[in-house]
Amino acid sequence: MKHIVFLIVVFTLLLTACSPNKPPVNQPSTTSAPGVTDSPTIGGEFDINDWDNVLASAKGQTVNWYIWGGSDGINSFVDTVYGQALKEHYGITLNRVPLADTVDAVNQVLSEKQAGKDPGAVDLIWINGENFFTLKQADLLYRDWAQKLPNSKYVNWENPAINLDFGNPVDNMESPWSSAQFQFIYDSARLNEDELPRSYADLKNWACTHPGRFTYIAPGPGGFLGTRFVKGALYELSGGAEQWQKFEPATWEKWSPELWNYLNELKPCLWREGETYPKDESELVNLFANNEVDFSMTNDITGAGRWIADGRVPETARAFVFDHYMIGDFNYVAIPYNAPNKAAALVLANLLLEPEFQAAQILPENGFGLGYAIDVNRVRDEAAQSVLKAAAAKLGDAATPASDLARSLVGDAAAEYQNLIEQDWLEFVLQD
Amino acid sequence: MKYLTTSSLRLILYLILIAPFLLFVAYAFSTRWFFPHPFPIEWTVFTFQRVLDDTRTISSMAQGLWIALLVSVLSLILGFPAARVLGLRRFRGRHLVWMLFFLPTIIPPLAIGMGLNILFLQIGLAGTIPGVVLAHIIPTLPYTIFTLSSAFARFDENYEFQALALGASPIQTFFKVTLRLMAPSLVVAILFAFLISWSQYLLTLLIGGGQIITLPILLFSAASGGNPSTIATLSLLFIAPPVLVIVATARSLNRHGNEIREQY
Amino acid sequence: MRDKFIFSPWLSLAPAMTIVLILLGASLFYAIAESLGIISVIGQNEITLSAFRDTLNFHSEFWISLGFSLWISIASTLISSAVALLLAVWLSEHRGNTDTLALNWNLAFPHLVWSVALLLFLSQSGLLARWAAMIGLISAPVDFPVLVRDRFGIGIILSYLGKEIPFLTLIILAVLRSQSVEYDVVAENLGASKWQRLRYVTIPQVLPALLAGALLVFGFIFSSYEVPALLGIGYPRALPVLALRSFLDADLRARSEGMVISLIITFIVMVVAVISLRLGERKE
Repeated sequence: MKHIVFLIVVFTLLLTACSPNKPPVNQPSTTSAPGVTDSPTIGGEFDINDWDNVLASAKGQTVNWYIWGGSDGINSFVDTVYGQALKEHYGITLNRVPLADTVDAVNQVLSEKQAGKDPGAVDLIWINGENFFTLKQADLLYRDWAQKLPNSKYVNWENPAINLDFGNPVDNMESPWSSAQFQFIYDSARLNEDELPRSYADLKNWACTHPGRFTYIAPGPGGFLGTRFVKGALYELSGGAEQWQKFEPATWEKWSPELWNYLNELKPCLWREGETYPKDESELVNLFANNEVDFSMTNDITGAGRWIADGRVPETARAFVFDHYMIGDFNYVAIPYNAPNKAAALVLANLLLEPEFQAAQILPENGFGLGYAIDVNRVRDEAAQSVLKAAAAKLGDAATPASDLARSLVGDAAAEYQNLIEQDWLEFVLQD
Repeated sequence: MKYLTTSSLRLILYLILIAPFLLFVAYAFSTRWFFPHPFPIEWTVFTFQRVLDDTRTISSMAQGLWIALLVSVLSLILGFPAARVLGLRRFRGRHLVWMLFFLPTIIPPLAIGMGLNILFLQIGLAGTIPGVVLAHIIPTLPYTIFTLSSAFARFDENYEFQALALGASPIQTFFKVTLRLMAPSLVVAILFAFLISWSQYLLTLLIGGGQIITLPILLFSAASGGNPSTIATLSLLFIAPPVLVIVATARSLNRHGNEIREQY
Repeated sequence: MRDKFIFSPWLSLAPAMTIVLILLGASLFYAIAESLGIISVIGQNEITLSAFRDTLNFHSEFWISLGFSLWISIASTLISSAVALLLAVWLSEHRGNTDTLALNWNLAFPHLVWSVALLLFLSQSGLLARWAAMIGLISAPVDFPVLVRDRFGIGIILSYLGKEIPFLTLIILAVLRSQSVEYDVVAENLGASKWQRLRYVTIPQVLPALLAGALLVFGFIFSSYEVPALLGIGYPRALPVLALRSFLDADLRARSEGMVISLIITFIVMVVAVISLRLGERKE
């Protein structure tokens, strides 16, 4: 026994002596590409107007992509599809940094700014709405790049849904990745299509005739779908989406009491009578799959498809929408001002818009499930066109029909409402 | 009859202790296991495989192991001389030193982590392995010192004197006598420093700042509402080292168990 | 000769003491500074008590969280002490050579993992609920009692019981086994009943150790974050959860409030620890 013990100690000491020399993770790696030093782009400097120069500069870099990590499907899609392509075609290593909520990445950049840390740790953030708003307002974003990406030609920059992010001008500071629209999920083995509620008013009636069988995601960190659900109710109560595209305190004062009123009337009919709410989509999916509630929510173009493929919900799950006020939007990637590997971040942002990868992201079996960022009509290449068509054909039963989606589609509210809704919801609904 | 109740009660106790493990295995290797099915219907290694294939899992385990290894060795190097003095010598101020080493075991990691957060950010230790290792040493060092010093208190220095008198060099004496006599406690000290670091969530979160990802960080973010199979798989990976340690040190634990407080 | 390896006790103590002093000192310094609103990196250098005022304001969530934290810590400590006492007495009367291993086995499940297991096992559609449905006790998840993520912190308390009962049992067992069994035998010979023996012989024997252990447990539960964060609900929140949430808030004023709460937690835990230490000393 004593000998073994002695061996363990020696072995441990040996291990520390010869373990792999892992460098500290956030060491700035701008100067780490040895092949680049003798080119004119020393230390990660590059000319964004010369794409070949960007590619050369990016080679050998590691791109630290801060990305919401709450979905296994998205995580493995990102690692395998983009991770491999970056490695094989561009010599770039992808380091996906999973976040509980995108606001954590915003805080990271903010505290780096406070501590004067440049270069920082973040190269690219999956972002939209208030988080983009915060960083843009604090002047913490890398500027003037999105429309300089070669694949930017596939993006319809004329579309206000793209050039405005929650009512806030994108101003060339973020590049779109995918699109999403709010939908509900139900189990066709439990409910018939004709019993489904088709408006918020309907929903309240349904919930109160089936007490405890409905709940929504708590608006707040990680709960963007819940915020979206609440915004939809606000639209319906106020009878329109347009007035919410611009922030107007008076409008909010006028309608918010009705919103809290509606949600508080709904509350006693909710799962656990609204004393607690699922904090994110994944948690609601668990409740739905285990027959605790009858509806889940999603942003996916694939409807329930991604969750079925993942074994998380019964195969009979289907998606549906109300007749109106189903909020849709685009989401983006942005580069912080102090990103250590900007060139690699640009290459990745460009890769995301590649038609082939855009097609891959909508396939249910790939586990990503969000829609296109590009305008498919702008793709001229025939091979790419057919890939996109094939992908669209594969969406299947679990997705909401495209015509239903289009009919109910409305834009998201101005970014200022996000925090307002989340905070007031805590005070007037959760703690009430 | 009495024997029967005793052993059945004991059986229940053991079942409670082993139950979490069985639960994780059932969830990790099944899919589409929903209410009201009492037992898994579809067994699969799909999720288990996917979690293992996820580069995040492997790198978080490697990072966690590496950090824990550094922490336990550093705690040992720092703690060994201090423990020896505390266990064998009586000197002025000894009580104060005790109190100082006792402090980190009562000050919550929450307060320590929050306090060090901005400082480490300023001096560039935030989000680095050295930073996290340094933070982990705060809770591990006292355990190392207390475990070793109580062993030193039972240590008979005469063995060393005899070895020296018989012509052994100090270095020989240290390795062949001191270390050998201390070996069981050394192992317990090093392994539990390892485990405290391996399972540390808060300090890693507050100092690692999302850049140092260890298994507890992954598990915590998956735990509240994630895929049950993923959660169970991560849990199994998380408890593998502790289980090995408990089994390996079962005998020494009888003596030292109480010194390892429930911080771990 | 005697001090061949150790020139002076302080030389041997220096490395460990330096590390602990610097890290604890720095963390305390920064905590106090930030709680007073001094965050120099953003050029905020003025001392203000506003974070204290906002936190301790009568309407602040702090008081609700304090009450909630006290409830879960006290309930967990009392229940686990009582169960541990009975379990230890029972185990010491019915010795089994694998018992200590079994109790230590619990060390293999860190609080985080143990809480995860409870979530999977006790939720309304968890394994226990499914078994209840199988034997017809319930027909839908809603019939099953809310045991985790509940308003009263039952899940949190259960999680701590699972971890602290074995811990306290080991402490009591150690005392019982180190002391001679003779008192017990004497009492039995004098005709004391089982209950009388427990009340007048065993409890006084183990009380100092049990009290010291229980106070440590209280301090630990009162200040730990993971379990209430996982097994609690959004409101009311335990104090450490409130502290960390405020601290990580993008709004820097909230950051100072987080620091204030963390300092208050630390203060309470320290007071309890000092009492525990005193009791422990008296035992020796």
